[in-house]
Amino acid sequence: MTTTVTPPQARPDMPSQEYNPQAESVLAKRIKSTIFHVVTLVLVAIVLYPALWMVASSFKPNSEIGGTNTSLWSSNFSMDNFVTAMDGIGGVSTMTFFTNSLILAVGAVVGTIVSASISAYAFARIKFPGRGLFFGMMIATLLLPFHVVIIPQYIIFQQLGLVDTYIPLLIGKFLAADAFFVFLMVQFMRNLPAELDEAARIDGAGHVRIFRSIMLPLMKPALISTSIFSFIWSWNDFLGPLLYLNTPDKYPLPLALRLFVDQTQSSDYGAMIAMSVLALLPVLIFFLVFQRYIVEGVSTQGLKG
Amino acid sequence: MINRRNFLTTVALGTASAAFLSACGGQASPGKTGTAEDPITINYTWWGNDDRAERTRKAIALFESKNADIKVNGNFTDFAGYWQKRATEAAGGGLPDVMQFDLSYLRDYGQRNQLLDLGTVDIDTSALEPSLLPSGQIRGKTFGIPTSTNAFAVYYDPDKLAPLGIVEPDGSWTYDEFNSFITEVGSKSDSALYGSTDYTGVWWMFNIWLRQNNIEAFTDDGKLGFTKDDLTTWWQKTESLRGTPALIPEERVTQLAPKSPFGSNATATEVTWDNFMAGYIGDSGAKNLKLVPVPSDDPDNLGLFLKPSMLMVASAKTQAKDASARFIDFMVNDPEVGQIFKTSRGVPASKTQRDGTTFEGTDKIVVDYETSIADYLKDAPEPPIVGFGTLETSFKRISGDLNYKKLDINGAVDTFFKEAEDVIKQNA
Repeated sequence: MTTTVTPPQARPDMPSQEYNPQAESVLAKRIKSTIFHVVTLVLVAIVLYPALWMVASSFKPNSEIGGTNTSLWSSNFSMDNFVTAMDGIGGVSTMTFFTNSLILAVGAVVGTIVSASISAYAFARIKFPGRGLFFGMMIATLLLPFHVVIIPQYIIFQQLGLVDTYIPLLIGKFLAADAFFVFLMVQFMRNLPAELDEAARIDGAGHVRIFRSIMLPLMKPALISTSIFSFIWSWNDFLGPLLYLNTPDKYPLPLALRLFVDQTQSSDYGAMIAMSVLALLPVLIFFLVFQRYIVEGVSTQGLKG
Repeated sequence: MINRRNFLTTVALGTASAAFLSACGGQASPGKTGTAEDPITINYTWWGNDDRAERTRKAIALFESKNADIKVNGNFTDFAGYWQKRATEAAGGGLPDVMQFDLSYLRDYGQRNQLLDLGTVDIDTSALEPSLLPSGQIRGKTFGIPTSTNAFAVYYDPDKLAPLGIVEPDGSWTYDEFNSFITEVGSKSDSALYGSTDYTGVWWMFNIWLRQNNIEAFTDDGKLGFTKDDLTTWWQKTESLRGTPALIPEERVTQLAPKSPFGSNATATEVTWDNFMAGYIGDSGAKNLKLVPVPSDDPDNLGLFLKPSMLMVASAKTQAKDASARFIDFMVNDPEVGQIFKTSRGVPASKTQRDGTTFEGTDKIVVDYETSIADYLKDAPEPPIVGFGTLETSFKRISGDLNYKKLDINGAVDTFFKEAEDVIKQNA
């Protein structure tokens, strides 16, 4: 029975003032824990402030954003910015921008997963002549700044007549040109026990079978962290779409976002921020759903990002 | 160079690329023409916000309805991205047929033979101010046709002056009078409102002051036309005001960015281009802003000029010279286009277009301002030297250091001259 509460035993022989190490340590623990949480919450507030500022500003009229306005609160909160943002730009609806971003991002994820895992399998598990050299060359492309290759790449795609299509933006993903992900998966596979492959081989499995039935299921954490990164990178990519897409109907969100701020004319910060909030949602959801795999995926390979 | 045709035929591609290729193929002649049944397509690109995109879309629709043999593909980006994209396209040989262009990039692209000499095609420039045309010309070739103009002005907000009991300026003032005006704002408002941004940090204001003193900013061969003494005199103009409420401290300006101090309601005046009006009204929420001419110590020479706020250019490699020229002519001269854009591109440069447009509200203030200074206008300067953008940024940064008191005037002048000479040498 839990309804009867036994009052604490009064112990007249023990004065209550007396030193009680156990009780104090509980108290001390509580204080420490409170301080820890307060400090952490303050730090979280500092880190989250920009996000909070963005959300608050998305409801404010343009003249109250930035400049001398420092308060988060405004008496003029309204949904106007979201209405403007959803109106679209120059006859292209905002949903089109979202759809385009989604096509590019999903394409990038699929392409990267398929191509990077296959190449990684080759590097990690198949001994072929020149493997070390090719692996080194792949790593070398990581060191090559994107800006060095912009113009040669553009010339190639331009001469092939592929400008203003999604091909220049996606083809690299399907050809495992993202060396970072290949490297990430190679490192992950090297940590998987080779005995598994050997056992499968004894049972008569070839490379395709080993890759599909043994490696892929074990690589789930690496595959998921690769998806998350390639999704977010593609979703946020600005320069690629800027250079390769000409028709506004094909623009993804990052290009559209910039169009609200024009230094040579008037800038609609409100609409831009409202659209930023909307643009952040898919990435945020994607991240929340898969976030527990990120740490797992990255930490198991000893890759410190 | 890879031979384009061979290269392409070797690589078997879809019909889309084949069509693209034939559009890119190589004969130089009056250019291809289209018919109403089989219209020729030209690409037009511009920078700007959603508002400009909407207006341009209307203008293109109007053009296509009047010219059934031409189809215009429009595309747009923001200003910063615009030049990244153009630089890549220029390197790859894929510049669009017709482009909206900014004066500061004209010489760069013109001298690299990326732009079509518009003197060789049929574009009517008779309705444009003759004083304006040199700004689109380099060494006798016309690379750009101005669509619209802007002029330098002092902005002020009458609703901020009235509560302080300060009389509105009438726009005929010397530098000393302007200085005492902004000092009065700063002291009467008890520092709640600064007088102005440090105007000596604005390159164009310096340029105008040089013109008031009959000095050219750049010589014909692209060197600096002013001396260290000139720049010292200029930066000394506000020396006694720096650090007082007359001028907003540089630190505060940085805090307010990306909005301007005037757009954030932190200063009472600002010197800049008159087509910033709509932006200021949007940023500050002010009801009415006014424009007056810049100060000058010589009341007959205000040093003012009309600058093309943007120009229309065509790619040197365009295959549709005739169609491109007709589109440029339409965008520059057509009265209905003026009615679509109002002053959002600047005040229409062509008289035909200006006369065909009704201006109201803030548009009218800008147009009236340009009309009021018409008698003082001199020839527009030639397109700025290559690397001008870097120079302008240096000027702003160094005068910012001056305002921060990181540099004294002599140090600032020396730094600027050193950087300017480097820029000129690099681009010579």
